[in-house]
Amino acid sequence: MADHNDPNAVNHIFSDIDYSPADLYDLFGWPVEDGRKVVFALTLASAPSAGVLDPDLLYRLLLTSHPRVAWPDAREFNADSVLGYFEAVKQKYLGELKTAEIRVTVKTPGSVLMRFLGFPCGEFSAEVNVNTVAPITAPDGHAIKAFVGGRDDGFFNDLTGFFRSINYAPQFYHVPHTMMEARELPIPKTLLELEGNDLFNYRDDMPEWGYTQPDGNTPKLDLPPGPWTWSGDRFKKDANGNFRFVYSGRDCRAGQNCNAIVLEIPHSLITPNTAENRLVNAWGESWVLKAAHKVESIPDDPSWLAQPWKVVREKELDGELQRYKLVDTDGQPFADAALSEREDDRQLGANNFWLGPHFIKRLAHLGWGFGPSISALGLKCSFDHDDSPVSVYKTYDHVVAAFPRVAKTLFQKLNMPDDSWNPKGLNIPLRRPFEIFVPNVCAVDMDTSGTWPFGRRLEDQVATRFLSLFLDMEAEWNGRKYHVDLLGDQALWDSAPIFPRTPPNPLKNDKVFLDNFPYLAEPWPQTW
Amino acid sequence: MVAASANEPAPRPVAFRGFKEDLEHAQSEVARLATRLSRQPCDLQGRVRLLYRMFHRASLSGRMTYFEEMDAELRNVLRDFGPKEDICLLKVNLDFRFHRLHEVRRDMEMAPMLASRVEGKVLLADLDMQEGRYRDAQLALESLIAKSPTWDILARLAHWKGKLGEFSEADGLYREAEDELTAKQMLSYAWLEVQRGLLAFNSGNYADAWSHYHRADSSYPGHWYTAEHMAELLAAEERFDEALVMLREVVERTDKPELCHALAEMYVCAGRQDIAETWFNRALTAYQESARRGDVHYFHHLADYYGGAMEEPAEALVWARRDIELRSNFSTQTALAWALYRNGKLAESMDFIRLALTSGVRDAAILSTAAELFEASGDMAASRQYTAAALKLNPLHRRFRMHH
Repeated sequence: MADHNDPNAVNHIFSDIDYSPADLYDLFGWPVEDGRKVVFALTLASAPSAGVLDPDLLYRLLLTSHPRVAWPDAREFNADSVLGYFEAVKQKYLGELKTAEIRVTVKTPGSVLMRFLGFPCGEFSAEVNVNTVAPITAPDGHAIKAFVGGRDDGFFNDLTGFFRSINYAPQFYHVPHTMMEARELPIPKTLLELEGNDLFNYRDDMPEWGYTQPDGNTPKLDLPPGPWTWSGDRFKKDANGNFRFVYSGRDCRAGQNCNAIVLEIPHSLITPNTAENRLVNAWGESWVLKAAHKVESIPDDPSWLAQPWKVVREKELDGELQRYKLVDTDGQPFADAALSEREDDRQLGANNFWLGPHFIKRLAHLGWGFGPSISALGLKCSFDHDDSPVSVYKTYDHVVAAFPRVAKTLFQKLNMPDDSWNPKGLNIPLRRPFEIFVPNVCAVDMDTSGTWPFGRRLEDQVATRFLSLFLDMEAEWNGRKYHVDLLGDQALWDSAPIFPRTPPNPLKNDKVFLDNFPYLAEPWPQTW
Repeated sequence: MVAASANEPAPRPVAFRGFKEDLEHAQSEVARLATRLSRQPCDLQGRVRLLYRMFHRASLSGRMTYFEEMDAELRNVLRDFGPKEDICLLKVNLDFRFHRLHEVRRDMEMAPMLASRVEGKVLLADLDMQEGRYRDAQLALESLIAKSPTWDILARLAHWKGKLGEFSEADGLYREAEDELTAKQMLSYAWLEVQRGLLAFNSGNYADAWSHYHRADSSYPGHWYTAEHMAELLAAEERFDEALVMLREVVERTDKPELCHALAEMYVCAGRQDIAETWFNRALTAYQESARRGDVHYFHHLADYYGGAMEEPAEALVWARRDIELRSNFSTQTALAWALYRNGKLAESMDFIRLALTSGVRDAAILSTAAELFEASGDMAASRQYTAAALKLNPLHRRFRMHH
């Protein structure tokens, strides 16, 4: 018996998850030149280093352009109608939808091959030197700008605060990778610290707890044995009667780099009918070369009998993609991080229609946590939490039960802080959460400024805007309707009974964005 | 900017990182973490990371000294931090590797939730297999695959199918496992290719075996594990000069006693009994030292050693009995049956070979042993049947082969 031939002989690095070039960070997208062109910036982990791309990776930026959908205001929204919407999206993305694509692979250590597939003018390609802005001319004369290389990471966010708000233990504790149940601990999610929550409340003796340090290490504690519960009944208040914010406003990505694929593309290259097709939807994907295809040989085909589902799926891919495995997708910020519980098998990019019901349940779960926090601050909440005085830990098995709670959050129009998002003053409907997150795409409205949720501009504080989903957009503060940037308004926090008095996330990036292409700032002088 | 056809596959620079680079990286990672942790010994996460890196280094190099260092550090971490689940998981893996099955059970009990995890279930299936609960093992693996067909579980089931003589199905599962791997897992890919090569080798298909071994070597260059199997194949093809050079180099790199043993047997087959003696002695010294320390890892090798070239059946019986006390499966049962037979205990021997055969095992070496035992017992019909079955499985099964 060959008793040493167990796969554990090689499967021995499961404790360490290396920094992966397949990890997509963000997808930014906004119109330029009065809506005649669109910029997309796909950012990813700077591995092996900023400005150097991994030759085993393939990146895709998928694009589709179509008309804006106007939801009739009078329409009655209910569980059936939203599930019907998800089904319609599914039919669209599985059916007639044709996408254009920009595919990027490493050609030499100093260059990438950028291929443009499925565009109306035909398919073409260009070799682009990394870390350099490259002009590309399409066969029909369209001018494209491209940049692939190292940049400052344009994401500015109090990630630790976010993880604290959702009780994400691995940021604060040593959590063995086997203990999947100890990722999000089963206590109420919250924006305000809970009285007696020893698991996540700020510790004076460990101010850097959960914050990743410049050397890459994160101060953590040993995970208590559990059960991980919270039995309190109120938010924590200090001697002055102030709540303690779980956020600090700190930029946890400050001083860190990414690799980026940035493109400026004429709208008319994507669709010949730019007048009608005012939306450009995009999502990014990372694929890693399969092991069998790294070897210079013809690998075996998976057999129909052994794995028919895989054969069917792979038949839909072109010859090149069949040699790769899809690893990560990116469309909307927080579609994965907040709404998918960080489960890899749910990172499906645009094709997340089947997760619609899950989103509703997850949003309701978050609502029971964040909603009472918002109400405690004296703000009106879109989530129906029965006026609960404190955050509640609640999960749902069925959409039907979750839906009434979350209906307003899902369907309310998200007000914008001013009219700058709509520079032409057109009759463009405000967007609603359910259509923002399903499908999981960055949907750029070419008649707007492209600020989130009409796209995503670099300067948008999307993490704070995401929290605004739980604000009741019909309410007013200081004589103005609530809007997506309300929680980023320092004046609001100055008057709130809270400490620290800060917006949850930083208001701007640590490096100034560039005024011109590729817009993301130069990388920091380090390899991390 | 260069215009080109879009259908042209992207040219890819192929940069193969192989054994040498990985081992250097593992060494430097261990050194780096050890230095940092000497200043921060209370950093649990860092200590666990170091342990996993040490395990990686030991597995990669095959060197027992690295395993021993890692074992010592593992005990320190357990003492300092208690039975955390990931530490226990690592200990289970380590104990499994060295056949310390009683320890495996204790490790699992230290972290009770581990048995409910996928990683724990996989190891329990391995334990079932080692202890002869084949059906339970197979069902557990199939159930895990139905939920999540990860490459390592597919490979385990493939190994089991291979032992049942279902070579085609086994190869299909290995292929499926390969399809789960990316270019970042070339070590695992090469390992799977070696398993496929071994399947071909065990069915006498040397051309296919070469094809897989070459693919393993080109996908993960310089690994002694691939070279070990190539050396075996060379010897089976009676290309002893090449085989000896290759295996000797592997021995020098790994210092594994079982490979010294294999080298000695190879020298015997090559007609160099004079040189073989040195290597037999080297292997025996290491086996005995290990046993003196209380380790159980080499019991089966000791049974093989004394029952094979040394022709000391009484000693072989001692070690075969000690091995089967640890784990009763078709492999240890066959070894014990053979040792009993060589000690004139034919009736008891027949009990054990029958027990081994009831497992459904379809391994040419085991069937061939059964044929000899049935012949000795006078059951010529059964002997002929097993002889024919062994030949059908592998017409070349009497050629040189190693105990991996």
